[in-house]
Amino acid sequence: MYSETLIDHFRVPRNVGMMRHPDAVGESEDGNCGDLARFYLRVEGGKVTEARFQTYGCGPSIAASSLVTELVQGRTVDELDGVTPDAVEDALGGLPPDRRHAATLAVAAIRAATAHYRRRRAEEVRRV
Amino acid sequence: MRRVYLDHNASTPVHPDVLAAMMPFFSEQYGNPSSIHSFGREARDAVEAAREEIARFLGVSAQETVFTSGGTEADNLAVKGVAWARGTGHIITSRVEHHAVLRTCQALERAGFAVTYLGVDQHGMVDPDEVRQAIRPDTILVTIMFANSEVGTIMPIDAIGRVTRERGIPLHVDGVQALGKIPFSLRGLGIDLLSCSSHKIYGPKGIGALYVRKGTKMVSIQHGGDHERRRRAGTENVPAIVGFGKAIATRARDMAEEAPRVTALRDRLWDGVRARVEDVRLNGHPTQRLPGTVNMSFRGIEAESLILALDLKGIGASAGSACTSGSLEPSYVVTAMGVPTEWALGALRCSLGRSTTAEEIDRVLEVLPAVVERIRSLSPAAA
Repeated sequence: MYSETLIDHFRVPRNVGMMRHPDAVGESEDGNCGDLARFYLRVEGGKVTEARFQTYGCGPSIAASSLVTELVQGRTVDELDGVTPDAVEDALGGLPPDRRHAATLAVAAIRAATAHYRRRRAEEVRRV
Repeated sequence: MRRVYLDHNASTPVHPDVLAAMMPFFSEQYGNPSSIHSFGREARDAVEAAREEIARFLGVSAQETVFTSGGTEADNLAVKGVAWARGTGHIITSRVEHHAVLRTCQALERAGFAVTYLGVDQHGMVDPDEVRQAIRPDTILVTIMFANSEVGTIMPIDAIGRVTRERGIPLHVDGVQALGKIPFSLRGLGIDLLSCSSHKIYGPKGIGALYVRKGTKMVSIQHGGDHERRRRAGTENVPAIVGFGKAIATRARDMAEEAPRVTALRDRLWDGVRARVEDVRLNGHPTQRLPGTVNMSFRGIEAESLILALDLKGIGASAGSACTSGSLEPSYVVTAMGVPTEWALGALRCSLGRSTTAEEIDRVLEVLPAVVERIRSLSPAAA
């Protein structure tokens, strides 16, 4: 039913837990199933140096969140816009049709985090 | 890794005696029971012996027992068979029935029948008084399950039967989860139709039966030959029928002795979980419950991740019914009982059976608390 990659990320999730003083936080909730993902990003010189997650949901949602924290590592914030649900699904080794929300949820939470980052940057620029 | 199977409400392993009884009917006694020659007569004798076995167990006559392809077909035959014999009218059922009944009722609604879906109390019980109040002049059928597959609650069927009997309305009971697990005889109960399944009681899959009380007005929904006294067309699944008969005979022998043992293991599991895990609650009736069923909700966890984590440790449990475990909504049964969504999403069903041991329960008690703690630690609710 689930790929070895997915099971591996579920069994040993990477980068779990909250982050103190992050540069950006974003979360997303799936209205249908109640799954909830939250990402914390540390950004230095425009690049993600650390990403952490906390997720409530099914196995695939937890695994997708874990995988996304690895996927975003070292990328610029603008590059994160290129992370799509399809890309996450592929990297997870595929998802059953009724678990596609796992990839959508993780990407929506990352989008919320990048939006938060850009808002904060814009505010900083205004203050300067 | 030694695996632990706690999903007996979904299906059970075929009992060795059942398998042995079935084997000759695949290769040696392969006749068609409708054939006149000796090959056919041997198959016919085997089918009728199995029918007798089941009828005796239920306390009914063999002529009142119709073989079907399983519980779902038995439910379809009962509900549609009675409805279409009338052509129009009102049906009373409950919100916690198996999909085989619920979706059949929904299909009949689209065909013009009226259906009342009764609610249940916090323990999953239908109130016989609500059945009485729901009866209309055009009510043609009441269909309520004997025991719920997800939470194990045993319905007050005799009280409901008194109501339907008094009003002269046929009562169909989905007996799939109760059969062979709790003692009952249809003699004296006001049941007119009872759905049965073989693979929940250590028989093969793909075979079930519908008891139809003599004189019940119904039509067949599958047309063809004269099989099953023209109530269900199609060549009989002889090996499976033989297996079903043997499974029933085995239950008749073992049930009384097994029930208290399985009940004690069930309670050992729940007491153990309750003592080791915080924020957990039991779904279902505290006592009026199937011997092997424990449904518990863990707050802050979605059951799918819990099932996956337990599976990785070799423990097979389920969320709600096996048929809906692909869906992401909280269980409609647990929701109908008024359990809040945040708890309902974390409902785990463990169903024990004849092979379950105390060692297995203790293994689950060793694994489960850590698994729950780990999944909770991943959640945004974690500190």
